[in-house]
Parts: sequence; structure tokens; C-alpha cells
Amino acid sequence: MNRHVIIPDAPLPRGVKDFLPNKAAKIEYLKQSLKDVFHRWAFRPIIPPSLEYLEVLERGLGEGLRDRTFRFDDRQNGKLVAFSPDITPQVARIVATRMKNAPLPIRLCYNGKVLRHTEQQAGKDREIIQAGVELIGLQGPEADAEMIAMAIECLQSLGATEFTVDIGQVEFFHGIMDDLNLPGPQALAVQQAIARKDSSGLADLLSELSLEDHKYAEIMALPRLFGGREVLERAAQIVANDRSRRALENLRQILAVLETYGVEEHVTFDLGELRGLGYHTGVTFQGFLTGMGSAVCSGGRYDSLTERYGMPAPATGFAFNLLNLLTSLDRDLERTVVQSIDALILQNGPDKRSAQRLARTLRSQGYACARDIIERSLQDSLDYGRKMHFRYVMVVEDPTDNVRLIRLADNAEQMISLQAVLAGELRL
Amino acid sequence: MSDYITFALPKGRIMQDSMELFARIGITCPEMNGDSRKLVFENPDTKFRFMAVRATDVPTYVEYGCADLGVVGKDTLLEQGKDLYEPLDLKFGFCRMVVAEPGVLLRDEDPASWSNIRVATKYPNITERYFAERGVQVELIKLYGSIELAPLVGLAERIVDLVSTGATMRENGLVEVETIAEITSRLIINRASLKTKHQRITRIIQDLERVLAEDVAND
Repeated sequence: MNRHVIIPDAPLPRGVKDFLPNKAAKIEYLKQSLKDVFHRWAFRPIIPPSLEYLEVLERGLGEGLRDRTFRFDDRQNGKLVAFSPDITPQVARIVATRMKNAPLPIRLCYNGKVLRHTEQQAGKDREIIQAGVELIGLQGPEADAEMIAMAIECLQSLGATEFTVDIGQVEFFHGIMDDLNLPGPQALAVQQAIARKDSSGLADLLSELSLEDHKYAEIMALPRLFGGREVLERAAQIVANDRSRRALENLRQILAVLETYGVEEHVTFDLGELRGLGYHTGVTFQGFLTGMGSAVCSGGRYDSLTERYGMPAPATGFAFNLLNLLTSLDRDLERTVVQSIDALILQNGPDKRSAQRLARTLRSQGYACARDIIERSLQDSLDYGRKMHFRYVMVVEDPTDNVRLIRLADNAEQMISLQAVLAGELRL
Repeated sequence: MSDYITFALPKGRIMQDSMELFARIGITCPEMNGDSRKLVFENPDTKFRFMAVRATDVPTYVEYGCADLGVVGKDTLLEQGKDLYEPLDLKFGFCRMVVAEPGVLLRDEDPASWSNIRVATKYPNITERYFAERGVQVELIKLYGSIELAPLVGLAERIVDLVSTGATMRENGLVEVETIAEITSRLIINRASLKTKHQRITRIIQDLERVLAEDVAND
């Protein structure tokens, strides 16, 4: 066969990928592992649609994602429809409209693909695979601690060893900003400087305002309030306002629950973390793996989201980005995931019935096996088997009806009778 | 691998300034002193690694987590707008981002009356944002070097570029009309590194902050 043919012109749009069996197996493994954890915490799967009316979807999207939604015309009625860029608003809509009579709390999980426009740069994903959970109808810190403990358990179940779940609290920031009464653009500039931890830029901005000393100290502390649990004590010494102090108390209560779950060593705090400000109403968190530049999971409390769909309810949740997980765990997953297939079965001569019977028997025993079907030399079949990650090649020998069993790892051979295999006596 | 702290530094002057500053807080790399074409230097005793890269690539290495920290000019950060932490102004690499034009032009017209102008620059994003805020439409011409040439040969009437002393501009008959930003070198940090290696990185930030404060006090 001539393999040097011209590559057909069939390109993909930027930011989407084909996943071939090796990568696909890893993604499936990630999905399944997360789903198992979700199940152990009593979360039940739901499947939202990939298309929604833009106008409905937008109600639940933060500013950042609204601009990044793929949208187009629905020919059936001329309305604008959109591919969802995030599953959380969809879950909020489903709960508020279709499950409003269900007893609270509601624990739901999902996995699926979302689409997001990205800045024009080659290689950034526009299609993202998410798996996450939403816990609706619970207000207290234990519910938020449940989310964080679950995220940690997810990372552990995937075999991650060096990771941190970094916890923030948007109410802490709001408490500090509350009585400043900055005009919009200035408030945004202050917020952006804090998000970049840009102390000198922040100092420049604040020098234009004449702030009281304690207020100045509170704001200037924000870019540096990150680290271990000692951050909470440091923060308590700096802030005086009630709203920020309540936020700190909330974090202390969450930490206490995490201690009971035995996962507190995996958490860090960052009170200057302002990502997701438009959407979250309390605690926020993001999971980071060593060596991976961006977060692998993010979540937090969003008490005003289901209300936008007609059912006020407190809620908290998180989602993993499976492609980020794949990037950082790729090599570790190689060992756990690459699925070897048990046997490649061939038979010489025109009569293939023994091979077919053999394949049927092995499959019924739970083994994964394939018939070679192509007529070729044994050597070619062995090469094929190795390339395609088979563990064994089985040759049914005519007319003796013996089976030659070749282990591809070391070419060790043995002979067994077909009858014995059909009687279920072979263990691969 | 991950017990190392990796810096991405721009080749040349800023790299020297950075290493001099780092030496004052005990971060050194003897391997770098040898005459070498290497791009990566290590100090295995203190677990620091240094990569020499192009200035404009520093934010990219840090954003993707190949380096935990980096040193880069605020001009590059403003232009690229990447999602990074920039906790410290290192107070070296001083210069200004300015709008400049031929002296003749300045005599004839008032910058306040600009409505539609053509600008050559290495910094299209900064330029576009700056003029958009002023309500001026610009036609941008992206160049990769010798920006001062553009007004001389009529490629654009004006330029946006960095100046430190202003000598090159003066020699080419250009005058600064507006300052867009004061530029210095910044310490930048990868988001995940700050979280997962917060003890060592916090230490670096605090030590540098202390040394920089001493400099201010001595000025």
C-alpha cells in the first residue's frame, strides 16, 4: 500500500482537536474517575442540551463569557441561538424551571463540551471539555467545604500528588471597596491592579484619592494576602469592616470542616483573587497542579444565579477543565490508561470458523479481542498486533485445532487445544 | 524538576541588572559567569534555574508555567495583556512610552485637534487603546525596528515608541508630543506557581521588596 499519498485538504478550525484512541482513552478515564467521585458524594448526572436561545443563556452568563459565546440564527424561527460556553448557567436554568418542586438540596453533576471564543492566537482551545457538580439549596459553609473537599478528592483519585486548591472570598474584597464610592472606571482599574497583584500600580491609583490611613492599608494589603492559613490571621488584623470580617469568619468555618475531612494540607488562601467576580457571591476556589500554568478546576458560591431563571436559591459548585487535566497528567496517565487489547485472532486457510468461535468465547468471558481477517504473513500480523497494543496473538492451526498463543511482550509461546479454550480453561 | 524555581530573563542588560538585584537577596548562579552559549543555567545547591529568552517572550514562558517567575518591561506587559501576576516594580530599565512626530509637524498643528492619524509602532495594542481612549482614529502600521525612520520617509506622520534618553529621536528630528506611560522592569509570576510554591516565592517577593525599599530610603 502506498502511504505517500498527498495529504487531503481537510483542515479543522483553530482551537478544536481530534482526539485519537490514546488521548481519547485518557479523557474517558478522567471523565469516569471524576464521575465515580461525584457518585460517592451522591451527585446525580444530568445532560443539558448544547444549543440554547442566546437570550435565555445570557441571563446566566458573567460579563466575561457573554462576549465569548458562539451564536447564530435559528432558521426555524429567526431567533438567535448559542452554543453554551459554560454548563453552570444551564444547570441553574434546569433547576429553576424544571425541578423547582424537587426537595432541596439538589446535587447534580454533568460532563460535556462547551465552546468559547478565544483571543486570536493559534493553539488556544475553543472547545473545552468540562466535568462538574452543582449543589443547590444550601447556604452554610459546610456546603462550600463539601465542594472543596470533593475537588481535592477528585485530584487525589486521578493520582495527582502535588497540587493546591486555592481559596478566595469575594465578599472580603467587597467589604473593603464598599464605602470607597469610587466611580466605575476607577473602581475597575483598582480591581485590575489587585487581580494582577500589582502593588506599585495600585499605590499610584490610590495616591490620586485621599484615603484615610486605615482604608489605604486595607486596600494595599489585598495584593499580598495569599499563602497558607496564616493569611486569615493576617487579614483579621488589617480589616475592620463587618462585611470583610464576616467573609473571614466564613472561611474559618470552611477550613474547620476541611480539617475534619482531613484535606486542609492541600488548601491555600488568596484574598486578592478576584476572578469570577461577576458571578460569584462568596467563597471561590481554583485547583492548581505543579507545573501547569492555568487552573485545572474552578468553582465557588453563586447565590444569585438560579434567581435569574425565576427560583431564588443559594448554590455552590465547581467544574474541572479536562483538557487542562490531560495536559498536566498526560505522562502519568500513560501507565494507568493506555488500554491494551487482549488478543488478535487469526486462522490459516479458507475456513475461519474455529477462529470465529474462539473470538466469541473470549468475548463472552470479558476479554477484548479482534479477528485479523486480512490474509497476511504471521510476521505482519505480529507487527500489527504490537503497533496496536495487543497483548497476545492467537493462531488457530489447521487441521489440528491447536491454538498457538504468542505473548507479544516477550514472544513467549505456548500451545493449547482449541477445545480447552472453548471450555473456558484459558486465562489471559 | 518541580523543586526548582525557574526564572525567565531577557537576554542582555536587563538580565545583568536582574542578577545584580537577585544577588543582594542571595539568589546567584555561578554557572552564568562563564562565557557560554547556553540558554539555561542552574544553581543545583539553591535550586534556582535561569532561562535567557527574548524580552517579548518572557511573559509567554511565565504564562505557560515553563518559568515560575520572570523579569520584563512594563511596555511588554501592557502590549501583551497576559494573565500574570506582577507584584513588584524593580525600579530599573527606566524609559517612557511616547508619541513623537517631526518638529515641523508640531509647529503646524495642535495634537488636541487630531481626529484621524497614521502611526507606526512596535506596540499596536498600546497605541490603539491609547488613541481610542482619546477618541482619535488611528491607522496602525506595525514595524519591528527603527521606528524613527517611518516619519522621515513618509510611512507615517507619527510614531509610538520607547525612549530613554531621547537622543535617537532628536537626531532624527522628532519631538515627543505626549507620554503614554512611564516604563520600568517588573517581576512577573505564573499564577499556579504562586499558589503551589507560595512559601519560596513569597520569600523572594518580601526580600526584594525590602532591598528595593532600602534603595528608596538611600536615594
